[in-house]
Amino acid sequence: MPDVLKVALIGNPNTGKSTLFNALSGLQSRVGNFPGVTVEKKIGRVQWGESKVELIDLPGTYSLAPRSLDEMVSVNVLLGTQADVGNPDAVVCIVDASNLERNFYLFSQVLDIGLPTVLVMNMWDVAADRGQKIDAAGLETRLGIPVVTCSAHKKTGVSEIQAAVERAVAAGPRPVASFFPTVFVTESQSLAEKLSGWGHPNFAPYLLERLLLDVGGWLESHYGGQHAHELFQYLQHARERLAAAGCKVPMIEARTRYAWARETLKGLVVQPATRAVTFSDRVDQWLTHRVVGLISFFFIMLVVFLSLHTLSPPLQGLLEEGQGWLSSQVAFLIGPGPLRSLLNDGIIAGVGGVLVFLPQIIFLFLFIALLEDCGYMARAAFLMDKLMTKVGLSGKSFVPLMSSFACAIPGVMAARVIENRRDRMVTILIAPLMSCSARLPVYVLMTETFVPDIRWLGGVVSLKGLTLFFMTFFGAFVAIPVAWILKKTLFRGETPPFVMELPSYKWPSAWIVLRRVFDSAYSFVTRAGSLILAMSILIWAAGYFPGNHQESDRLQAQIEDLEKQPEPPADKLATLSEKQNELTGALLETSLLGRLGHAIEPAVKPLGWDWKIGVGVIASFPAREVIVATMGTIYSLGGDVDESNPDLQNTLKNSKWPDGRPVFTLPVAISIMVFFALCAQCASTLLVIKRETNSWGWAVFTFVYMTGLAYVAALLVYQIGSRWA
Amino acid sequence: MDIVPLDCLQAGETARIADIEGCVDIVTRLAEIGLRNGAVVRMVQPGRPCILALDNQRLSFRPEDCTHVFVEVVPAGAVTV
Repeated sequence: MPDVLKVALIGNPNTGKSTLFNALSGLQSRVGNFPGVTVEKKIGRVQWGESKVELIDLPGTYSLAPRSLDEMVSVNVLLGTQADVGNPDAVVCIVDASNLERNFYLFSQVLDIGLPTVLVMNMWDVAADRGQKIDAAGLETRLGIPVVTCSAHKKTGVSEIQAAVERAVAAGPRPVASFFPTVFVTESQSLAEKLSGWGHPNFAPYLLERLLLDVGGWLESHYGGQHAHELFQYLQHARERLAAAGCKVPMIEARTRYAWARETLKGLVVQPATRAVTFSDRVDQWLTHRVVGLISFFFIMLVVFLSLHTLSPPLQGLLEEGQGWLSSQVAFLIGPGPLRSLLNDGIIAGVGGVLVFLPQIIFLFLFIALLEDCGYMARAAFLMDKLMTKVGLSGKSFVPLMSSFACAIPGVMAARVIENRRDRMVTILIAPLMSCSARLPVYVLMTETFVPDIRWLGGVVSLKGLTLFFMTFFGAFVAIPVAWILKKTLFRGETPPFVMELPSYKWPSAWIVLRRVFDSAYSFVTRAGSLILAMSILIWAAGYFPGNHQESDRLQAQIEDLEKQPEPPADKLATLSEKQNELTGALLETSLLGRLGHAIEPAVKPLGWDWKIGVGVIASFPAREVIVATMGTIYSLGGDVDESNPDLQNTLKNSKWPDGRPVFTLPVAISIMVFFALCAQCASTLLVIKRETNSWGWAVFTFVYMTGLAYVAALLVYQIGSRWA
Repeated sequence: MDIVPLDCLQAGETARIADIEGCVDIVTRLAEIGLRNGAVVRMVQPGRPCILALDNQRLSFRPEDCTHVFVEVVPAGAVTV
């Protein structure tokens, strides 16, 4: 036995692989990413008797025929060519006991790799309940490898896997007998000689097989090196030779593997004579029903969004209070000056800006994980497919876009499930147009202050409420033509058929759900958090320097001294605060940020904005929620105002252009809202887009198209609105 | 037996897949998930997309212009899916 036993776990989606991984590894697992790809790397460490074991959970897949670098990762791990994992000692292939034939397709590919292999027939209890009888011992004899039956969610059969893996490892490497006809094997040997001649000896037999089988696959375009062109031509000829010998590539693979599956299972599986209507079938009669299904769907979505909006604010309030307390502690310890300002207005405000999204993200992921794990998400995608095909996407884009209504970051990450690259790209690029929770404060501030209080139907329907509702869905409306245009131009191509498994319904596992929530929250805080923090400090510096803060700091110290008195003189305090706020406003105007605002005034004037709004918009490019606090600072009310602050609302109403016209009119307010609805003011989202598309190009593209769209839309709204009003 | 496109199946009808036409990449993907020549499917809910029963799994499927799935209707009671 080696020092550390490395065991890879592989299986089809919906076979209970994650449940089994958790049952095997317990708490000792960590999640990361394989370098350079978006594939999740889940490693669990356990102790099996004397030996340390490292479990590597590979992503659920229907096959090991890599079409992209992402799909190549699993093959590399199994072949021992993934540098950060090393050589696996054994592989555990998990199959759904109720669907052996389909699952055996992937299993036969795993056998081809030649590692010591264990077959785990999971969901054994479900198959038994269905009346299915499988002769596991007979299968073990026929396959010549350990076979374990298991019901991972009930934790039965899990401990047997350990012994089976140890037996498989002790038996040593398996001789690989090819599933394919002799003519194919001969062709594969000639290919090995050819590659050896080009300086690539010892090519793994499984890769040779894949090179021949995968027409247009990832291997043929990446494994040729300097002989890429020759390899391509050689493969074409080899495939022609195979076709002439009656071994047509790639159809031969499905035919051979399914024939083997059928042959292997022959006589060992007894299906029940009559088909029982399962619980899932009965539920699905309603949940996928054309009318009832859609009504239930909208009801579920309503519950999710209402809960999101009732559960998050108290926690967000708590986080904000914590932030306020921390700031006051800093103020107590450090006198007014650049250090206090950096700590409070830069770092603490920056960290707070990250953490304030955490409740939303946690609850959203909680609901998504629950719906996903119980099996409903596939039904939601099924129901929404009809709608999504109208813009050229498929039902699989629905979940990512829905998530983006709370926050685009989990939305963009959820697009991983879309295997069609064009669909995935379009979904990622339009996800930030969905109205996330950070836009809400801007909408609230603008509608509360500038939209007239008109009510109908005895006050139930108000113009303010309608405006809020309309703004929430405005981005999604705009996304429709954007998606359509993207599909017609940059991502043109044939629509592939839509095929998706509808897994059986089951009780969600608390452990899997909580784990997913934790992982998402953790990765959000560490990855996106560090960037927002850096940007906040930059914006703080731009608003602080250059400028002489001595007078302002002196006033601040005076105010704090007065506040310490048992009975602070209210009128004196008010005068000082007013003076102090004016001074801060003036300092901001002469700072780098203020100068930038003046510099861009000509560009934002056609939108009806003055330099102050310009500054607010510039400051909110890293994170749009900064706008309200920045407006507070610019309008000399201090940075700690929120969107429902009456002073801020009044100040906005009374602010004037130099010639005395009011700055904020209804068209200006709408122009600001429209701008915020469409603009890519979120550095974290852009960073996640960069990571998920593996290219800065698409992040820049998103920024440019959204900002351009926002500018043009705000311009149209103001120009038309101000003429009409 | 008549060969008909998959979309023509009525709810509850069972059929054997006779042929899948389309570009190789897509046909391979369909085979991996279980939709292959010779597989027996039952139409659970017709429509676009439809729901198919294939062994003990349920698949939602929407054929597109580039892929055609042809099936051979199996008389009721001949095969249980």
